[in-house]
This record gives sequence, C-alpha cells and structure tokens, in this order.
Amino acid sequence: MNWLRLRRLWRPAPLKRHYEVVIIGGGIHGLATAWYLASAHGIRDVAVLEARYIGFGGSGRNTAIVRANQRTAENVRLYDEGLKLWPVLTRKLDFNLMFFNCGNLNLGHSEAAVNDFRMAASTHNYMGVRSEVLDPQQCGELIPGLDVSDRPTFPIHAGLYHPPGGIVRHDAVVWGLAKGASAHGVHIHEGCEVQGIDTRNGRVTGVRTNLGAIGCKRLGIMAGGYSSAVAAMLGIELPIHPLTIQAMVTHPMKPFLHHVFSSGAYHVYANQTLKGEIAAGAHMDPQVNYTTDATAYYLKHQAEALTELMPALRGVRFMRIWAGLADMTPDMAPIMEGNLAYDGLYLDAGWGYFGFKSGPVAGKYMAEYMATEERPEILRAFQLKRFLENRYSGETAAVMKYGHWD
Amino acid sequence: MTFRLTCPVCGKRDVYEFTFGGQERGPRPSQEEQDAEAHYRWTQFRLIPNEPQEEWWYHGQGCGIWFRTTRDPRTNREVEDGGGTR
Repeated sequence: MNWLRLRRLWRPAPLKRHYEVVIIGGGIHGLATAWYLASAHGIRDVAVLEARYIGFGGSGRNTAIVRANQRTAENVRLYDEGLKLWPVLTRKLDFNLMFFNCGNLNLGHSEAAVNDFRMAASTHNYMGVRSEVLDPQQCGELIPGLDVSDRPTFPIHAGLYHPPGGIVRHDAVVWGLAKGASAHGVHIHEGCEVQGIDTRNGRVTGVRTNLGAIGCKRLGIMAGGYSSAVAAMLGIELPIHPLTIQAMVTHPMKPFLHHVFSSGAYHVYANQTLKGEIAAGAHMDPQVNYTTDATAYYLKHQAEALTELMPALRGVRFMRIWAGLADMTPDMAPIMEGNLAYDGLYLDAGWGYFGFKSGPVAGKYMAEYMATEERPEILRAFQLKRFLENRYSGETAAVMKYGHWD
Repeated sequence: MTFRLTCPVCGKRDVYEFTFGGQERGPRPSQEEQDAEAHYRWTQFRLIPNEPQEEWWYHGQGCGIWFRTTRDPRTNREVEDGGGTR
C-alpha cells in the first residue's frame, strides 16, 4: 500500500534569519522566479514568503486561459514565449500541468471590432503567432453552440481565432513550481505575512514578518494584486489599482465546448474545463480593494451574456462563484523593474488579469534580472518610467477588453 | 458580497448605483507649479496601503451628486457609519 502514502510535493523548511533572495508572494510569479533562480542560475539561498497558502491569490483564482494574441509586438513576444513554455515546464517539473491547447475564439460584434481583429491578426502573424479572422459562419462551425444569427442583441460579426492558445490547470502550475523549487533547495514559507520592509543607506536589507525579521540581499515583490499594498510599506507610489475580478463555474456537463470563446462587448469569456464545467468570468468591480468578494450582480450578468451567445446553456446552473485580485495598470502592460527606489528591490507586478498566462515567462526573466542585475532586453518595454514619460504601451487597444477598466 | 454606500442625499444605497471616482488627493496642482513628470505622477501614481482611504463616488443611478466617503479596501465597507460628505 506504499502508493497510498501521501507525500508532500514540497518539503517543509526551517525559517532562516537571512537569505540571499527573498520573494514576497507564493503565487506563480514568485514560485517561477524562485525555481528559475535555483535551477537556471544556481542561486539556491532563496525564500518564498506567502501570507496565506501558496496559490491563494490570483494564481488559483484565474480562469486558466492562456494565449499569445496580445495587441502590441512587445507583449506578443513575451506571451508567445510564455505559451511555448507550458509543455517545456511539464517535462522539466515532471508534473502534468494539463495544458490543453484547444484554441481561443474572440468574438467581435461591430465593424470597429472587425477592423481591430484584422489589425491584431496582422500583428500576430508578423510576430509568427497563428491567428486568423473568421466570418460568423466559420465561428458557428468551430463552436456549434454559438448563436451566429442576428437574434442576439449584439450579433456576431467576426471572430479572431488563435489556435495555439487554450487552458492550463492553474493549481498544477503552482504545485509543480513549488515542487521544482523545493527540490532545488528553495524555502517556501506559508503563513508568513510581510508587515514591513527594512532598508539602510538606500539598500533593501530585509523584511519584518509575523514570524520575525528576515534579512536578504535582494527582495522581489511579486505579490500579484497585493503588490501595491506591499510597495506602500516603503512609500512607493505605483500606477496600479488592485481590483477584484469575478469568475464562476456551472455544474459539469458532457464535453461540447472544445475551444475558449470570449467577447469584449458581452464582457464574458468561457471555456469547458476538463471536469466538464463551463468556467466563465470577466467582470471587474471598479473600486480599489483587497477583498475577494463576489456578487450576485455579476452572476446575473454572466448568465445573461452566456445564454444569449450560447442559448443551449439556458437552464444550466452555476455551481460556484469566486473572485480574485487584478493589479491594473493604465496601459494594460506589466511593470517589471529592478533596483526600484532602493538597491536590491525588484518588482514584478501590474499584470492585471494576465498574470496567470505570463507567470512562468515572467519568472524566467525576473530570475535572470535578479541573478545578473542586468535588465534582460525583452523586459525593456515594461519599465516603470514609461508612465512618467507619457510613453504608454499600446496594449489598451487590444480587442479582448473587458469591464469598467476600459 | 455586495455592499452599500452612504449617499449624503439618498442614504444607504447599493454600490452598483455608484461610480468609483478614485482617491481624494486634494486640489489638482496647477500647470505652472509642476513639470510634466510631476503631472503624470499626480494623474496615475497612487499609494494604496492596507488601510481605509478617503475617496470620491458619483451617484449616477441616483441623485447624481459627487461626494466623499472613507472606505476600507480590506473589507470594502465604509468605516464607522460612513457618512458621505459633499
């Protein structure tokens, strides 16, 4: 009965009083950074501090959709590399991340959206990413349940189809990365809440936590939606608004939806999970907050949007609803910075609702940044100073726009 | 859980009747007093600690006034009895 014995994927570790690198946030970004630091750069004296349990935040609350059809070339390049990492990580971590590249179909409901699709597809194809514009009939052939007639309030004019995208099991990514990082000597401390950050002579020297002070040479703030609250401990102002975004699943059904579909006009995205549930979401509450409160208001709206686009879903029941935080920047692109305000302080935040699909690739380059202390070329587009120079990324022009934030 | 805000005119109403107007940040600095960088900092950069903040709300689906209230981002609720002021 040996196979029944439960074994933890990551080893409990003693809390040391000093580490070379401390990372705040035990989500996908923090764990991926720690794993790359230990496995690719030989920096094993690393601690990941997580206030709750690993994967508590956005890492375990997103709708698990991955894709590389962003609007701007800089973003497409980063996300495309991230998309190609899933099978690689599955092998390297020896853990099934359940990557299902079922393809994403984004629906357009106006002439302007169709123009946007054409421009976006041109960018994707130029960057070597598969992406094409479909007419309504082709959308209907791809996803038979879609109502491509003129009955919906906003009829479907076209679709932007991105075959290499899909879904990944988000918990598996957290567990796999924790397993890999721990095997390389990284200490993962759950229930360790950072309450203050210590500096001396313009350098970060450590953090104060509910488990005592922990010293470090380099500190990474990778706390997802909570990053702005962590940065506020040092008085660092950021162009980030933490907002809750809600998601929900129906009861499980036979497989019938074989692609991710989404619609900016209806503020909905949906896919059928491998368990058979329809996972849907998109909504964002407008006020800054650090809660994970879900509301009946959006449950109703999602039901309306889903049943209008896919009438066969009428009568299907939602089973669960939850919410997570998105750290929104004004230009919908992230902030990845080193030596921010203090030497040794690194920030990987502002991912908005794209933090899941970008996690491993962000970790890869943040690890390189922290190990070499030189900014990787691919991260040049994501510096904080762009907001002070009025040089925003063009990502807000993306056709996959949802919610009040636009 | 949804929550309610205290409109100075209409009293406690569902939050979805309101539009969030951002943090109260004092009067906007005049163009003469600041350079471009300070302007961009003022328009976009925020300190959002884990504590209550004073902020603006607009009662768009009600009486249509702008008012201030103090709300805790950890709970979404107004602090004490709220009591929005114009």
